[in-house]
Amino acid sequence: METIKFVDVTKCDGCRACMVSCKNWNDLPSEIEEFHGSYQSHEKITANTWNVITFNEQERKDGGLDWLFRHSSCMHCVEASCEKACPEDAISHTKFDSVVIDYDKCVGCGYCVQACEFDAINLATYIDKNGKEFRKAQKCTQCTDRLEEGMQPACATACHTGAIVYGDKDDLLASAEERLAKVKERYPNANIYNPQGIKGTNTVYLLADKPSTYGLPENPKVALSQVVWKDYAQPIGKAMLGATTMAVIGSFIANSLNKKNESSEGEDHHE
Amino acid sequence: MEMTRRQFLKISGAVAATLAVIELGFDEKGAQAKSKEFKIAELKPTPTICPYCAVGCGILVYSKGDDVVYTEGDPDHPINEGSLCSKGTTVRQVYTSEKRITKPLYRAPGADKWEEVDWDFALDKVAKNIKETRDRTFIHKENGLTVNRTDSIAYLGGAALDNEECHLLQKLFRAGLGLTFIEHQARI
Amino acid sequence: MTNHWNDLKHADVLMIIGANPAENHPISFRWILKALEKGGKLISVDPRFTRTSQMANVYGQLRSGTDIPFIGGMINYILENELYHKEYVAAYTNAAYIIEDTYSFEDGMFSGYDKDKRSYDKTKWAFKKDEEGKTLQDPTLKDPNCVFQLMKKHFSRYDIDTVIGVTGTAKETYLDICKTYASTGEVGKAGTILYAMGGTQHTVGTQNIRSYAILQLLLGNIGIQGGGVNALRGESNVQGSTDFGLLYDNVPGYMQVPTTAETDFTYQGFLDRITPKEGYWVNKPKFYTSMLKSFYGDNATKGNDFGYDYLPKLSAGRNYSFMRLFDAMYRKELEGLLLFGSNPAVGGPNAGKEIESLSNLKWMVAVDLFETETSSFWQKEAGADPASIQTEVIFLPASSSFEKEGSVTNSGRWMQYRWQAIKPKGESKADLEIVHMLARKLKDMYKNSSNPADMPMKAMTWDYGESDHPDIDLVCREINGYDMKTKQQVKIFGDLKDDGSTCSGNWIYCGFYPENENLAKRRDSTDEGMSNFLNWSFAWPANRRILYNRASADLNGKAWSKDRVGIEWNALEGKWKGHDVPDFVVTKGPDDPTFIDPFIMMAGGKGAIFASINEGPLPEHYEPYENPMKNSFSSVQLNPAVQFGEEEMNAQGDVSKYPIVATTYRLSEHWQSGAMTRSQEWLAELVPHMFVEISEELASEKGIKNKDKIVVSSARGEIEAYAMVTKRFKPYKLKEKTVHHIGMPWHFGYKGIVTGGSANRLTPHIGDANSTIPEYKAFLCDVRRAK
Repeated sequence: METIKFVDVTKCDGCRACMVSCKNWNDLPSEIEEFHGSYQSHEKITANTWNVITFNEQERKDGGLDWLFRHSSCMHCVEASCEKACPEDAISHTKFDSVVIDYDKCVGCGYCVQACEFDAINLATYIDKNGKEFRKAQKCTQCTDRLEEGMQPACATACHTGAIVYGDKDDLLASAEERLAKVKERYPNANIYNPQGIKGTNTVYLLADKPSTYGLPENPKVALSQVVWKDYAQPIGKAMLGATTMAVIGSFIANSLNKKNESSEGEDHHE
Repeated sequence: MEMTRRQFLKISGAVAATLAVIELGFDEKGAQAKSKEFKIAELKPTPTICPYCAVGCGILVYSKGDDVVYTEGDPDHPINEGSLCSKGTTVRQVYTSEKRITKPLYRAPGADKWEEVDWDFALDKVAKNIKETRDRTFIHKENGLTVNRTDSIAYLGGAALDNEECHLLQKLFRAGLGLTFIEHQARI
Repeated sequence: MTNHWNDLKHADVLMIIGANPAENHPISFRWILKALEKGGKLISVDPRFTRTSQMANVYGQLRSGTDIPFIGGMINYILENELYHKEYVAAYTNAAYIIEDTYSFEDGMFSGYDKDKRSYDKTKWAFKKDEEGKTLQDPTLKDPNCVFQLMKKHFSRYDIDTVIGVTGTAKETYLDICKTYASTGEVGKAGTILYAMGGTQHTVGTQNIRSYAILQLLLGNIGIQGGGVNALRGESNVQGSTDFGLLYDNVPGYMQVPTTAETDFTYQGFLDRITPKEGYWVNKPKFYTSMLKSFYGDNATKGNDFGYDYLPKLSAGRNYSFMRLFDAMYRKELEGLLLFGSNPAVGGPNAGKEIESLSNLKWMVAVDLFETETSSFWQKEAGADPASIQTEVIFLPASSSFEKEGSVTNSGRWMQYRWQAIKPKGESKADLEIVHMLARKLKDMYKNSSNPADMPMKAMTWDYGESDHPDIDLVCREINGYDMKTKQQVKIFGDLKDDGSTCSGNWIYCGFYPENENLAKRRDSTDEGMSNFLNWSFAWPANRRILYNRASADLNGKAWSKDRVGIEWNALEGKWKGHDVPDFVVTKGPDDPTFIDPFIMMAGGKGAIFASINEGPLPEHYEPYENPMKNSFSSVQLNPAVQFGEEEMNAQGDVSKYPIVATTYRLSEHWQSGAMTRSQEWLAELVPHMFVEISEELASEKGIKNKDKIVVSSARGEIEAYAMVTKRFKPYKLKEKTVHHIGMPWHFGYKGIVTGGSANRLTPHIGDANSTIPEYKAFLCDVRRAK
């Protein structure tokens, strides 16, 4: 059985249980940000905040108002840029089709961070026992550890409106279509977001408005350069230069592209 | 309290998870060892009711020694059926918060800080203050009528307490000590 | 709530007014959405567009403090278009009752007003009786002095144009709401009203709720599954703490506290005063005496009126409620204050003055999980000069809800048990243990006294074990009640006696602990019909899930709707049966003339369209204490029965200086004064900053940009906060003028991980004419950019 996470934003009432249920299960520290001028707590997903509810307000054509909420987190792309970009083969798909990072392999080069079109993966900075800083890429795991135990992802378990559900792909996609037909009257631009340019995602959305309203790319694709990197340059380079050097190169590329390379301070958090 | 089979399946037999998120801290090795263990493996949850609003959602608390390691919605609770809001979800931090006061505190008149005291000292103070004020201000009779009250001590609170606590508080402060100013959050 | 959370899914239309459950009771939406999925409609009426409004089919804006015009207009619409549930209204409400000729209403005032006392002589509005004392009725509802006609006349003034000129609601939207909600008046349909503090926190709060109740009675929506008047209570046990009499004027089970009035000189006189002649409350003496037995045990004897004299007697006519308590503190009449999980320095009205009053105390005891703004009011952080404050403060660390065991009662009256999951953190102790240790200490201090003034303390029983740790099971048994001789648990409150042979700490809970099982601990979540979950926990009274459920059936005892069977008369078995515990005498059949009197707690058994409360028998609009305009319905500006407290505590702002209407509220992510939630990292992270929501129009007028720091000022004080400029706030377009409004959460203070200005520094110290709940929801202010 293939499974997906389905997020129906038209059922979301913005309570943000998904945000904290993720922190609670994954023991993630809190990151207090500056005031953003709306109810939104974090500007975007970070290395310690793996999902963020976005808040958008816009006037409707009929004169009314919409306050649109979206649970944003890793899309778990079928063709995942991060996976392609990783020089260490640290990122892979699990049997649940979730995209996960192997922390033993990750060297914190940040190439995946650059590659992700959804801003869903970030570097966290930690300090080892010798006081030395090191980095690891961090993002939503779709709670793969819970899936292994037959449980739902923590966000889906917490969601009281059923806006986030996890289950059989065919069933959920079928019910998504039904739901879409139902909400069209209220949200004429509603659509199912499951971009085929990356062969679909394992987190599928029913959006109330165009993807761009939510800051989502209309038609994301894995960049050719990443394909070249992953499928050609890296295997050859590794053979010639050794894995670590290749990672440094990857990291250099990532940092020089640097627009969104952020890290968070490692904290000895409360638990 | 009875656990249903559904819950039992979810909480028992949890062993190594292949890809648990690791808690990377200063002790890298320790953290990685921890990553091999499912975080609520072999823990027996205790059902409770959320302390916030009055929807009355069920929550399961997973504790281990002196720590609450996890909390989650109670799947058998008919109202929330396992789901929770943001407040209900974080109830674990009511326990773990470093802001919790864990020792009685005393502030002397005019002092600019608390001092930690023991329970005997604190409760003696409270009892003496109550008795001293009550006895001095108590009205036993007024115009020939037994009124048995003091209007000089006030009691506030209760909406976050248990019914059994409310019963005893009301009994002690009204039926025993004769307070008239007994109020709580329902009034505001 | 007359109904309960799961039952929301049975509604055809839900109107949320004065509440924001998507934010303050989020899990309610699990059930509301189920109603909508079946084609139900959700109406959100609120001054601002909330997370609830986003989930609604219709959002109607109303100006803060205009619920009565809003609902009054709906009542008028329903009456004019004859959309009410005719059989229900005629048979189940007091619509047919004839009122005395002394009743009148003119220019905002009912008859019988005493200007000096600011109160009414309610006998002027009495029901007309015949020689036998029976209320005269006109079942045709045509008599000009019957309740129905008086109501019709009263609300005829609430025509749509006048209403929307006051509320600021768009006409089309208003008509849509009227039409949609009135559709539930059709036989077999169900509409529910959900309200919270947006309804109650006004000088006309009680009448706001009365207006909801009248609307529901007219549409036949009370007593049925999917209907009801549902107060969404905001704290885990605010239902229980109210049930248990932690209010100056209530002992447990909603019974009165004796006063120094002449009637109360003797127990019998007091009982005569508080016991009605009709309705279920005729049993009150049994409940009261059993309660006294739970207080004083064997020291309560027939010879000493069961210890009636031990109870404190309030000064007759004196109000001891929350704001009056702070008035007394301000006047230095109070020496000591005990706080058990309470933070008035953030949560109280005109908090600046209330904080000032705290330093007049000789001593304070704060029992809490976290250091609160109240317990630390003397600190430099609070802006105080510690050296000048002579208050001795003792802080006792309490343990949290899952570090102890006990029960809480939710909004649907379900008494649910919480088991202990971990031992108390550090040296903290359960409140139960704290009060137990304190009581034992005090009893010990009084044990050798022969002073008659100390008799109540000596007579009070405290039999919960000899160690510092009380046996909670013994407390539970006492609350339920038992036979004094046999110690057998009482099965139901109907078995309580007025001769001292039974005790019961709280009669409405009697039945939760029959024999040897504490029913609050039940965890059988089987739905045996209509999602009433009769075997899950215990609901007071008598495990009844829908109050007044007799009204779910028609005059013959048949359910109004096949899809919504509460209880029905089973002629074969000669009893009421169904999916709930009948709120009626189980064997009372059609032969009994009172078979059609479903509201058993009311004299006459009829739902009260007409009910005499302090400012009148029918809701009438008065403007808030601080208001932006003249009352459009009469020349009376403020509720004439509102009482004023200490003048110094309550400066009044004028519209010329403070032209903007302000309101306060809560958010999903924080709770109450924030003492708990601002002390937790994950919740602090979700809403870390105090903000004020303002419209784009007001922002542009004031030169304020989103994220600017602004100052909000009222006649009581000012605070600084971030401006959140939003489309969700729109100026009120009233008939006379356009009025701006702002809103802000009241969760913030200076303690915790995240801090911010306390909204209650701004709010007025005046309250409802009946409940004295403060008017937090509508006051005047001004805003400016911070320098």
